[in-house]
Amino acid sequence: MSGCPARLAGFAVVVMGSWILVVSASAQGPIAPAPRTADGKVDLNGVYQASPLRGAWDPSQPGPPLSEQPSLTPAARQRAQELLNRRSIDDPAALCLPSAGPRMGGVILFPIQFVQTPGQVVIIYEYMNAVRIIPTDGRPHPADVEPTYQGDSAGRWDGDTLVVDVNNFKEGNWLAAGIVNSDRLHITERYTRVDRDQINYEAVIEDPILLAKPWTIRRTLMLREGVRVREYVCAENNVDPGRYQEYLKNPSLFLRSPEQAAPPR
Amino acid sequence: MRFSLCGAVLVVALAGAMPAWAHHSFGATFDANTPVTITGVLTKVQWTNPHSHIFLDVKDKDGAVVAWMFEGYPSVVLSRIGWTRDQTMKIGDTVTVFGWRARDHSPFALGREVTLADGKRLNFGPPAGTGEGAAVAPGN
Repeated sequence: MSGCPARLAGFAVVVMGSWILVVSASAQGPIAPAPRTADGKVDLNGVYQASPLRGAWDPSQPGPPLSEQPSLTPAARQRAQELLNRRSIDDPAALCLPSAGPRMGGVILFPIQFVQTPGQVVIIYEYMNAVRIIPTDGRPHPADVEPTYQGDSAGRWDGDTLVVDVNNFKEGNWLAAGIVNSDRLHITERYTRVDRDQINYEAVIEDPILLAKPWTIRRTLMLREGVRVREYVCAENNVDPGRYQEYLKNPSLFLRSPEQAAPPR
Repeated sequence: MRFSLCGAVLVVALAGAMPAWAHHSFGATFDANTPVTITGVLTKVQWTNPHSHIFLDVKDKDGAVVAWMFEGYPSVVLSRIGWTRDQTMKIGDTVTVFGWRARDHSPFALGREVTLADGKRLNFGPPAGTGEGAAVAPGN
């Protein structure tokens, strides 16, 4: 096993390297500039897929690796380990619940549509049939909102970048497998359509209960002309909660073994 | 076959790095260490969200018919990757499904790929490991 760390490190370099190569290679050829609306803003309208590749819908890519792993507080790390040992059966997504933008926009199987008007941007996620309405007219967060799964979004334009401040999240939702947010979750998203085909997405995630330091996620959203957002009603045939109740009668069937679950030394 | 811990770590590290979380955890239900390839006669299709299901009548080694169920992508996803409802597969077709068995060893599996009656192969479900996260939580 002496070569294992080196092999793992090499593997990581290869994965990240090939990702960069794919992005670089796909950037060749004539690229049209980002379109603009009548009021001079960059026009985000369109249907996109979280992907590094330009062109048609691509189901073959496994999706971009997380650009950065979260730094969890000790308590959050312990909780995450317990949830991972249960193979993430507690994920609220199994109950068809939506979650925060960084997760909703990263499920590569499902398209995302941007609808932009002078005073707002609406993001429609096929995944979970979810919608976010983002005012961009300068209004602040309302004072009396109830916490929600996707939080409250307040947008503004910073040059050609849409900046969205998101707060008022329900606690207990998942940002990723085992990564559970508190009600102090605060996310700053930046959407920049750098050319006709590509939006650069960045999310800075802050949560002092969950994270030891801010967690930044970056990915690209690629235009998919001709793709339409369809109706995804997750509750239609959601057999998983009932299945999990059965599994919990015999947890040894699915729990990770202590050897698999042990943290590295 | 020699078990490689390093290889296993690579697999879970890769799975953990993928943000392509779908509706639920692969590993809670399916065992990536028990791949299966099953051929049978199509009896029913559930073209639904958040998962589609296909049902096959499969003859076991004694000639008895066992009803298998395979879980796959939601219908919205199948529609985008080459499937057409009621046309790509028809009831009565003999098809082959590759996937991974359920942990309870019932005649149930995740269907990764279907080989249709005409030999054409299509993805039907996600790769092993999707959604369950890595074995070890991120550090701090």
